Amino acid sequence: MTQGLRTEEFLVNMGPHHPSTHGVCRFLLTMDGEVVVKAVPYIGYLHRAIEKICENRTYAQCIPIIDRFEYCTSMSCELAFCLATEKLAGIKVPERAEYLRIIMVELNRIASHLIWFGTTSLDLGAITPFLYGFREREDILDLYEMTCGQRLTYNYIRVGGVSRDIPSDFIPKTKAFLEKFPEKVEDYVRLLNENPIWMVRNQKVGVMSAELALSYGVSGPALRASGVKFDIRRDDPYSIYDRFDFEIPTGTNGDCYDRYLVRLEEMRQSAKIVKQAIEQMPEGEIKTKVPTNFKPPKGEVYSRIENSRGEMGVYIQSAGDSKKPLRLKLRGGSFNQLQVMPEIVKGGKIADLVAVMASMDIIMPEVDR
Amino acid sequence: MNRDDLIKYLLENHPGKIELLDTGKVEPFFALNKEYLLEFCRSIKTDDILAMDFLCNIAAVDTGEKLEVVYSVASAKNRIRFDFKVVMPYEEAEVESVQTVWAGANWHEREIWELFGINVRNHDNLTRFLLPDDWNQGNPMRKNWDAPDFIRMPEL
Amino acid sequence: MELAGVFKYLYELLVSTGLPQVWIDLISLVAAAFVVFGFLAVVALFLVWWERKVSAHIQQRFGPMRTGWHGWLQTIADMVKLLQKEDITPATADRPVFFWAPVIALTAAFAAYVVMPFGKGLIVSDLNIGILFMVAITTFTIISLLMAGWGSNNKYSLLGGMRSAAQVVSYEVPMVVSILAVVLFAGSMSMVDIVESQAKIYQWYIFRLPFGPIAFIIYIISGTAETNRTPFDLPEAEQELVAGFNVEYSGMKFAMFFFAEFINLFTISAIGATLFLGGWQGPFLPSWVWFMGKSLFLVFVLMWFRWTYPRLRVDQLMEFSWKFLLPVSFANLIVAGFMKYSEYFNW
Repeated sequence: MTQGLRTEEFLVNMGPHHPSTHGVCRFLLTMDGEVVVKAVPYIGYLHRAIEKICENRTYAQCIPIIDRFEYCTSMSCELAFCLATEKLAGIKVPERAEYLRIIMVELNRIASHLIWFGTTSLDLGAITPFLYGFREREDILDLYEMTCGQRLTYNYIRVGGVSRDIPSDFIPKTKAFLEKFPEKVEDYVRLLNENPIWMVRNQKVGVMSAELALSYGVSGPALRASGVKFDIRRDDPYSIYDRFDFEIPTGTNGDCYDRYLVRLEEMRQSAKIVKQAIEQMPEGEIKTKVPTNFKPPKGEVYSRIENSRGEMGVYIQSAGDSKKPLRLKLRGGSFNQLQVMPEIVKGGKIADLVAVMASMDIIMPEVDR
Repeated sequence: MNRDDLIKYLLENHPGKIELLDTGKVEPFFALNKEYLLEFCRSIKTDDILAMDFLCNIAAVDTGEKLEVVYSVASAKNRIRFDFKVVMPYEEAEVESVQTVWAGANWHEREIWELFGINVRNHDNLTRFLLPDDWNQGNPMRKNWDAPDFIRMPEL
Repeated sequence: MELAGVFKYLYELLVSTGLPQVWIDLISLVAAAFVVFGFLAVVALFLVWWERKVSAHIQQRFGPMRTGWHGWLQTIADMVKLLQKEDITPATADRPVFFWAPVIALTAAFAAYVVMPFGKGLIVSDLNIGILFMVAITTFTIISLLMAGWGSNNKYSLLGGMRSAAQVVSYEVPMVVSILAVVLFAGSMSMVDIVESQAKIYQWYIFRLPFGPIAFIIYIISGTAETNRTPFDLPEAEQELVAGFNVEYSGMKFAMFFFAEFINLFTISAIGATLFLGGWQGPFLPSWVWFMGKSLFLVFVLMWFRWTYPRLRVDQLMEFSWKFLLPVSFANLIVAGFMKYSEYFNW
């Protein structure tokens, strides 16, 4: 009966302006009916030449620019850059500053995962969790605004420490937030986890095996959901993460549902880390004195941290006699995750592409820089 | 494996091709002979003791005198991390693609081709990427690149 | 305060003017049409406001608050805005088809109310094929979806229109089969007879185990799919690639589609209330208050679904209808038939 019938493939543009591409990303899809045969991503719409700009800025001037490298987790970007510079110049950061950095970065991880949670459920049709996630995020942004005056791009973590100490309100408010946060996560779990529609849209969709993930350089929750228990905070520890007790959630199947569960659990673990950090934080200085004409010695370093989207790496090469870096290269987790997308959406439906893009948590500024 | 063992292991197994640089501040930094790039990458991936299956980053550097391509690799299983680079003069701006070893190298190499003008042999898709499709103003990340709207910040 | 008396009085007034019978019939029919039309327009305006408030409160926000007390004038403001908008017809659109699609949608939506029992004695025409007529008329919306998709002359609206039409057609079948179980028990297709057979609360069809609740649940699920609401709103979702059949419509035509969707929502809830929840039966309060209360309760349930659940993918949606709902509804019908036949279970 199908001898006389013939289907033709047609090209569809999932354009740069689209509600669910999380930024400006264009996909050229070759479709056979409802099935995606080939997907080619086109990027570069958000290329701001951060690396070239930073070659003309001193190390302290680079920090507000690096903030915008991945604006959902600005604190992590600053931390990656400052860790690299401190490694290069051999600067030691005071204890209190280390704890403050950890608190800020982990709160930022929770905030970023809340954005992911909201946009993922929005893309899949459940509009209400978006507002619930952002309601929680408002509390975290209030904490940031109290400390450094900014809600999104902070310019807070500096080379040698942090720029300001926390106000007296900060710790009680953080404790109040951490008190009610686990129940909110329970709310999300009850709303979506066992929902049959959610499960059928996410399970067995966008399956990524561990070998594929490793060979494409995918890291972070997407890698852990495929079964590889690798977290830079545990396996290549930086700052003072070895003093905290937290678990690393992993998944088994590498589908969208596992990535969802891993990130939900990570939110809880981050809350645990913040609680421990607040308890252990000593008094003291918050910044080592770094000379105004800071010229790190000749050398190069690649330093990486665990960001909410994967491994964020900063490569700095310094010529030794300049206030400006010779070369600053930024590596974001979303870059590799977008690279692996065409492999995992092949053969799926177009609605699955939306689900996969949401669950991989790709943010375009990290890809384009 | 700690830093000294790693250095000893690499220097013993790849004599003549690789040498230790003193610019690496925490993780060891090596300089690799450009001809052995693909072979070296393959061997460190398949090596049981090292098993470097994760390519973190490929960065190209224009030092003003030479071009360098820096590879940062890690092992998810064995917790090892080191970096190595290949150095080349401006006239021989070409490097072999390692995408057969780590598939994730594909886009990194595309980027260094586009921004630095380093040709990558055996790459399957060297096309415009971050810059606009009709870009014809050269390789922006080179130190000698200039453009009418490129303004250098005044020295402090 | 029964309204049937009011209408009877008005009819007597008309007869006493001494006009020929044909004029009396004509005038009373046109008047009935206007009354129903006016009522539904008010209901549609109310429902639009209510959807916004319900969704807002579920999402922990307030919704419209400034236009009138708690924003009750918001819908009127939106209507005024839509009326002022330029009515754009794409240059390559198929003009007659493009024009008539929203008209048919709205007409089909309104025409179903000819047999809707609003209260005791408040029905425009008590046809003895009442529920059959209603199901047949609501099926007209499929034609308008296809016309909208075709007339826009746009690859994506055509795909969206066809997907919507496929979805509506697939979910008609379980809906009709579940309605059939109720009709079987009531012994008649007339809407008034069905309501009268639910005189006591334990006689409401939703409580007649085991076929009643199952039929009700299947009816509600199919009804949600009929009106293209979440979790079945993939064909018109914004986050999808194919933006739906009404992407090319603007201004008044878009408002007509929008209205038709809300009227359909009320139709589905009203039929559900009539067939399963006892229609206008109830103590103390006037019958039309009971009818409106039950229908609005079902509307609230459907809105609650929309703002809680994610949406199903197209193939999952079709699979659910054909492979799950249809066999269950047939089994339900068989059980209902057995119950009706046997003396003991005939409750």
